[in-house]
Amino acid sequence: MVDRSQTPELKQIDSIDFVAPEIRTEFPVPFFVQKQVPNATSRIELYFNAGSTNGKIGLASLVSGLLLSGTDKMNSTEIHTELDNLGGFHDISLGHESVVLSLYGLNDKLAELLVLFCQSISAVTFSESEIQELKEDRKQKLRINMQKVSFLAQREFSKNLFANSDYGRVINEDNYNSITRQEIIDFHKAFYLSGLFKVVLIGDFQEETIVSMEDMLIPFVNNLPLQYNKNLQNTPGSFHTEKEDALQTAIRVGRILFNRKKDDFVDVTILNTILGDYFGSRLMSNLREDKGFTYGVGSMLSEFHETGYFLIATEVGKEHKDAAIAEIRAEIEKLNQELIPADELDLVRNYLLGQLLKSADGPYAMTDLYVGVHAFGLDISFYDNYIKKIHEITPEKLQLLAKTYLDWGQMTIVSAG
Amino acid sequence: MIEFERFELDNGLKVIFHKDSTTPMAVVNILYDVGARDESEEKTGFAHLFEHLMFGGSINIPDFDAPLQRAGGESNAFTSNDITNYYDVLPAQNLDTALWLESDRMLSLAFTDKSLEVQQQVVIEEFKQRYLNQPYGDVWLELRPLAYKKHPYKWATIGKDIKHIQDAKMEDVKAFFQKYYHPGNAILCVAGNFEFSFIKERVEYWFGSIPGKLKPARILPSEPIQKEFRKLTLERNVPANAFYYAFKMASRKTMEYYVADLISDAMGREKSSRLYIRLKKELNLVSEIGAYITGSLDDGLLMISGKLNDGVSFEQVDVEIWKIIDEFVSREMSVPELERLNIKIRTAREFQDQGLLNRAMNLCHFELLGDAGGINEDLMVYQSITPKHMSTLGKSIFKKKNCSVLRIKSTK
Repeated sequence: MVDRSQTPELKQIDSIDFVAPEIRTEFPVPFFVQKQVPNATSRIELYFNAGSTNGKIGLASLVSGLLLSGTDKMNSTEIHTELDNLGGFHDISLGHESVVLSLYGLNDKLAELLVLFCQSISAVTFSESEIQELKEDRKQKLRINMQKVSFLAQREFSKNLFANSDYGRVINEDNYNSITRQEIIDFHKAFYLSGLFKVVLIGDFQEETIVSMEDMLIPFVNNLPLQYNKNLQNTPGSFHTEKEDALQTAIRVGRILFNRKKDDFVDVTILNTILGDYFGSRLMSNLREDKGFTYGVGSMLSEFHETGYFLIATEVGKEHKDAAIAEIRAEIEKLNQELIPADELDLVRNYLLGQLLKSADGPYAMTDLYVGVHAFGLDISFYDNYIKKIHEITPEKLQLLAKTYLDWGQMTIVSAG
Repeated sequence: MIEFERFELDNGLKVIFHKDSTTPMAVVNILYDVGARDESEEKTGFAHLFEHLMFGGSINIPDFDAPLQRAGGESNAFTSNDITNYYDVLPAQNLDTALWLESDRMLSLAFTDKSLEVQQQVVIEEFKQRYLNQPYGDVWLELRPLAYKKHPYKWATIGKDIKHIQDAKMEDVKAFFQKYYHPGNAILCVAGNFEFSFIKERVEYWFGSIPGKLKPARILPSEPIQKEFRKLTLERNVPANAFYYAFKMASRKTMEYYVADLISDAMGREKSSRLYIRLKKELNLVSEIGAYITGSLDDGLLMISGKLNDGVSFEQVDVEIWKIIDEFVSREMSVPELERLNIKIRTAREFQDQGLLNRAMNLCHFELLGDAGGINEDLMVYQSITPKHMSTLGKSIFKKKNCSVLRIKSTK
């Protein structure tokens, strides 16, 4: 007879084997290579110092969208056709502090793909027609997004979270209209033609292929000092954006905090998980599983080079807006006032260790983990320490952290609906 | 090549084991052969609502998620018009916890009133968040009943109407469980660094004593062949005019399915596709354009959809779409174009197959189609397609009377 009343015995994770990628010593900026890939897939990521805080509002976004828009020798369609002929996929991801160009393909095609990519990016001519087409696309997209409560809330949140800084700029249609071709050319020259500051290569490659890729990328290497904002401050208080006829209200609550360079980061990660970063979290249990206010609610810690922030996000039925904000506040205050029960903490410990094991599974995940700490001047020992801290954390320490960092009076609270 | 082994328990549970000796994680994936197409027209949205209830505690275990999280794992599920799929990802050493949880909820649910009531609310909020409170969010709620007149694909997985979800009763929930949630209607895949004999023994231990039942017969009304062009224009408070062309296509188990998939790629998957080049780059009529298939098990839809640039009329784009179609069916595609479509498919597959969860889900999916081994054959099917196949099938799909068009007209 099967005894279903007892939980099967659990085995804890005590350590994880982290494998660091190789670092190319000859290359002038960090160039990571992970060759232990048991299949034919490969990926190269190029990090450019071309993030959205640079230049006029919307400029970085337009330039990133025009990188493959054509050269003297190939127009946009020819470039994309050739990328597709080689079976390549690409992604251009614009952040506040950088742009990441990712190129995916089978490993016997990646070097050819990179040649095409580099040629297209370095010789892009920025034709007026391509610029105009992208501006119109972006404006339409913006008009559509402005009808989403989640977008409106995020916009208002950004303004107040990154108050009075380039990080908190939000775009309007006029911003696109005002950007000139010359500004685009100048931005491209400054931040792409000499803006490459990191490369991550994953795939089963021979040395000569890697060297050929290094040769292709050398001309793009960054020659400007990398500067990042250290002093972001949020404006505490409540802000509302009205949207007629909305069925749901989007809510954002958060504040500027810090990144993993700060000692408290791992412990605050544990606190954040308990509050809102897994399915069984307090916010999910309360707002979704107990009250049915929402399809989902979550909290997260997001990091910049020199700072970071804490964020809670949800969409709730509009009739539940005030009750939902009150419950979010109550959950935060509960962390301030009451010790976390040992059983709950134990669950979250195991959960986090399991998730860390998963996020180190396979060459891609493992490399991303490594690159994720290297950016902050840390090494793989960060994760050994992470495991140690997860084992050592106490309810008393977590309450102290909640009192220090999760004070409702310090929060920026935004609603849109 | 994705290796696997297979066995079946006496109660009818089909089990697939996939060994991956490189990962410290394990995946437990269970596909239940029930989806929104199995609902009655008066009680739609039920398969999906039920998926939510599967996390509300089972007969011996009050909470599904907490023990799994305590084992370092996490879980989720999705419902489509065809199937309901549940998965658990956790450290391999704690595999037993996932098998315990999954077997207990296959045995019986707790069925509490509170769980039903709350999940009704949650699903209603999901309905609003994904379908009603988004620009263009209701397109599929409108398009399905335009394209399908008899087959249950005429309603969306979320349901036809919020009211159906509000009206769900505990007795309906229990009956649904009795009918569809048992070993004979499920396919289990366990993936990770294990030995086959160990998996056999553990699966037998946890699932072997669950009573077997006969697989419910599925007799769905088949969709009559469409004989007329259908068109519906809706006015909505959205910034841009949008269009959705739905062409009927063959079911999943046919060769035509693969050909139609490639046809949709040729028409509108990438920036090198025909619709994109002509409508966007050459004529500058649209801001977005794409083509894809719905991928459903019964007769599906090949879609062409996009958004108009300001000042462009639906009619202008319509004329050009039919010109592109005409060219597609009247002239055979070049071999390089066909090869381009195939290398994209092959590359995408290589990346998808990297993920343990993906492999486990796909193995269950192919087993449902008839043979998990299909996972290693479908690339060959794509590669066997010729230019002649493409234009011949194109001719039969791209007919006006096989097409339903939905237009969303901006009121601004």
